[in-house]
Amino acid sequence: MQLSSYARFSLALERRMLIVCLITQFMTALNKIALTWFALFIFQFALIATLSAQEVHVVEKTLTNGLTLLMVERHDDPSVAGGWVAHVGSANESPGITGIAHLFEHMMFKGTTSIGTTDYKRDFEILAEQEKIRDEMRAEESKMRAAWRRGGVDDWQKPENWTPYYRELQKQFQELVLEERKVIVKNEIWKIYQANGGNGMNAFTMDDMTAYFVGVPANKLELWMWLESERIFHPVFREFYAERDVVFEERRMRYDSTPLGPSEEAFNALFWQSLPYSWPTIGWPSDISSISKPQADAFHAMFYSPQNITLILVGDFDPKQVAAMAEKYFGRIPRGKNNPPDLVTTEMKQPAEKRMNAEVAANPQVDIMWHTVPFAHKDSYALQILAQLLSTHTGRLYKGLVLGSGVATDISASQNSQKWAGWFDISGEAADGHTPEEVENGIYAELDKLKRDPVPPEELQKVKNNFAAEQYRQLNSNLNILQNLIFNDGEGDWREINAAQPKLEAVTAADVMRVANEYFKKDNRAVATFTRKPETAAAESK
Amino acid sequence: MKIFSSLILSVALVAPFQILHSADIPDRPEKLSFPPLKYDAPVPDQYRVQLKSGPVAYIVPDHERPLVNITVYVRTGKYLELAGKEGLAELTGWLLTHGGAGTNSASQFEERVAFLGAQLESSIGDTQGNVGLNLLSKDLDAGLGLLRDVLYAPRFQDDKITLRKQQTLQAMKQRNDDSSAIEDREADFLAHGEKFWANRYSTSNSIDSITRRDLEEFHYQWFWPSNFVIAITGDFERDAMIAKLEKVFSSGPNVIAMDRELRTGTPPPIPTNIVFAAPGVYLVNKPDVDQGRVSLMLPGIQRGNPDYYAVVIMNNILGGGGFTSHLMNRIRSDEGLAYSVYSSFPPGVYYPGTFTIAFQSKSRTVAYACAIALEETKRMSAQPVSDAELNLSKKSIIEGFPNFFNTKEKIVEQFAMDEFTGRHAKDPQFWQNFRANIQSVTKEDVLRVAKKYLTPDKFAVLVVGNQADILLGYPTHPVDLKTLFGSFHEWPLRDPMTMQPLAPQK
Repeated sequence: MQLSSYARFSLALERRMLIVCLITQFMTALNKIALTWFALFIFQFALIATLSAQEVHVVEKTLTNGLTLLMVERHDDPSVAGGWVAHVGSANESPGITGIAHLFEHMMFKGTTSIGTTDYKRDFEILAEQEKIRDEMRAEESKMRAAWRRGGVDDWQKPENWTPYYRELQKQFQELVLEERKVIVKNEIWKIYQANGGNGMNAFTMDDMTAYFVGVPANKLELWMWLESERIFHPVFREFYAERDVVFEERRMRYDSTPLGPSEEAFNALFWQSLPYSWPTIGWPSDISSISKPQADAFHAMFYSPQNITLILVGDFDPKQVAAMAEKYFGRIPRGKNNPPDLVTTEMKQPAEKRMNAEVAANPQVDIMWHTVPFAHKDSYALQILAQLLSTHTGRLYKGLVLGSGVATDISASQNSQKWAGWFDISGEAADGHTPEEVENGIYAELDKLKRDPVPPEELQKVKNNFAAEQYRQLNSNLNILQNLIFNDGEGDWREINAAQPKLEAVTAADVMRVANEYFKKDNRAVATFTRKPETAAAESK
Repeated sequence: MKIFSSLILSVALVAPFQILHSADIPDRPEKLSFPPLKYDAPVPDQYRVQLKSGPVAYIVPDHERPLVNITVYVRTGKYLELAGKEGLAELTGWLLTHGGAGTNSASQFEERVAFLGAQLESSIGDTQGNVGLNLLSKDLDAGLGLLRDVLYAPRFQDDKITLRKQQTLQAMKQRNDDSSAIEDREADFLAHGEKFWANRYSTSNSIDSITRRDLEEFHYQWFWPSNFVIAITGDFERDAMIAKLEKVFSSGPNVIAMDRELRTGTPPPIPTNIVFAAPGVYLVNKPDVDQGRVSLMLPGIQRGNPDYYAVVIMNNILGGGGFTSHLMNRIRSDEGLAYSVYSSFPPGVYYPGTFTIAFQSKSRTVAYACAIALEETKRMSAQPVSDAELNLSKKSIIEGFPNFFNTKEKIVEQFAMDEFTGRHAKDPQFWQNFRANIQSVTKEDVLRVAKKYLTPDKFAVLVVGNQADILLGYPTHPVDLKTLFGSFHEWPLRDPMTMQPLAPQK
């Protein structure tokens, strides 16, 4: 269990990250392999900031339109992992359109003016007609919302509660959907990649970034250039409203229909007061079902400009040739007139400890979050070391609360640094006969020791050795190196892939004690305790 | 949000009409030409070493990073548990690396591994055990010593047995909390039968009954050199590594004094007494979720079946090929009824696999999505696929083939698994011939296997979700789930500690 702190970090990220995940199923179809691709994937992000200097040789170029290109040559295998990260995520949204960054990510697979249609002119006419009907539907939705506010209907989205006119509009819209299908070539981007050996095509959205990636055979790099530049340059958001429903199902699957999803979402919203990390990346349900295609078009215009995008290629190629090719394909996209707006809102300092208790269909547990520091902050390294000191089976929390007092069955800690802010997270499950509050108090007792006494040299070295080995583990494939670069670039600076490790090495026992005292304060934390819903216990075990 | 003005919007809509492709960028990707890329599949015998000490090893040096990665596959598994001792395999697997080994107590052992920055993990699943070691190459000798202790001299410390039992019992309580866990479990019951060995779950009684002696015997019975297959890659020289491995595996310190008769030789074959459920819908009521999880299942095929390649293509077109598949296009892209929808047709290694269509949809559209899945299944066996679909499917698999082997770890792990499961002995040319075999599949083959295996009147359909809302259906697409697949059954949850069926929830 060397990596439980990382695994824990992965889980913390998973709550906030969304991935269109399909390749797993494709692989399973061929082989009886239970791939935990999704989980492994996030795991890679969890290992950021653990690479030593000069470990990854990155060539950086800036294209004439401001787009950044990162290249890592690696001739181990005749393939290339290609990806790009747009510096936009759910933190760039606002109330009413929460979830748009992620919905937009889905829409980027719907084609371009030349891909995904047999007749783009006719397609555009139909899209325009569809929007006219949608305008009327939005007006009607507004009336139905008003009726709901006054108690006229219990849930305006229930089909039984729709107004007759709304039903009529639905029908008209559906006719236009069928009309559009005549000129649509469904999922053509996917088809082209598949026919050319593309693999692992996927994308994800987080608070601070949206990333798209795929692996291609080395001889098909130009195809990647063609398709990716085309969809950044000329995207067409077909089947927008059906995709909105898809995303709503994704929300139900990941959050609404899981034992802890709804409570964790509420806890996250409790923790962040002013910073737009407070809403889930997938968006509030009310917003997902009302985001419009015009809003998505505007979002693209604002955030998908070349100066806001980094291209990353890892694999078997010649960087000189690739740089020229990138200029040819991506350089044709005009620089955006305006740079995307900076996020100026900062998190309010908490005036007091925040607490919530939830009854859930799960074993009793506690989750504690403290406000800490953003990505690459000078204290982030000591906090990462501190998290590792607390985590794993040889860490302090397991020794103290699982093996020692026995109040917990499992426990973990993580430091999570994102672009605009960071947090430290400890969560643990109470052992039978013990309460979440006992686990909570045990955690504070361990933290108090770290505030009071310097960490012994051997223990500090053990943790550093772990980071030193980890730095290599994640470099085992083009895709993993690509993921690391995406993550670091998306959070603020790809150079951290090489710069972080020496900073971790330099952390001293005094640094650990200082950050423990600085951040683990009562009025800087939020605490969620979870107890089992009595009826779920009754249904399960007597 | 003034920024979302209609002026800006019009840019996105109008601009594409004005854009011309520059002269040297073609307007369609088909017009690009690519240099040829020849790819030869790796050949297992180039990596295979029969160690004198017993195990077969697959070895690939890789000096890119200063790491060594070793996986030891062990012929053992849950299927060897005696009745009443369910959970023994899993407990043994966990305690190998967490219960002390050799001269080290559990805490000394874990501290030693941690100080090396190494990963040393073990587990025993249904039909195999795994012990994995990953560490810096400079620490290889220390790591191999620890690995040998795990394989030959685990200590199964009493306090760790108690701890793990307690953790296991507590985890059991969550068996009915997550609808996806319920779905996974009950799908196996429907596909394999209540009495199938893989469906003998641990209970509070079986965990309580496991003794230290049980663990020692289970370990001693199956952990010996010729019962291992090894995959190893990393920063080492091949010959030096072979010498080190011979040393590790030849001199197992037999610290547990035990009757050698326990070692009865090669583990017995894996039982194959599958009973597939009668056709119909089996609904587990979980009132607290707003999305139903659905698995539509049919009996599948086993490895070595001559229909395998046609089945791969057929399934790829129906629902295995991601966004290009029929199910994805209809249920997700067209109708927006699900985020994840797919079919899988894995050939079973030891007994026939299960063909499954799976998706999740909001409670009230479950029945509608089921009807579409059924319709698409019928269509597959009623009419031939198009040439374009057939070709795309073949190309996606053939062109994507190198990804099976795009890291050194994947090469050795794939070949070690082939050794372990007997494929290397039976069909050593499997990977060499794979692409040609896929290429030879015809439309007629696809239709034939669809008719043979996609038998819609035999579907066993598991649904986990809010029964009332699921049966209510959706007004614009009314479908009666109670009759769609013949019969309808309320399928009970099980008591998580005894696994006995509970009365259906109302």
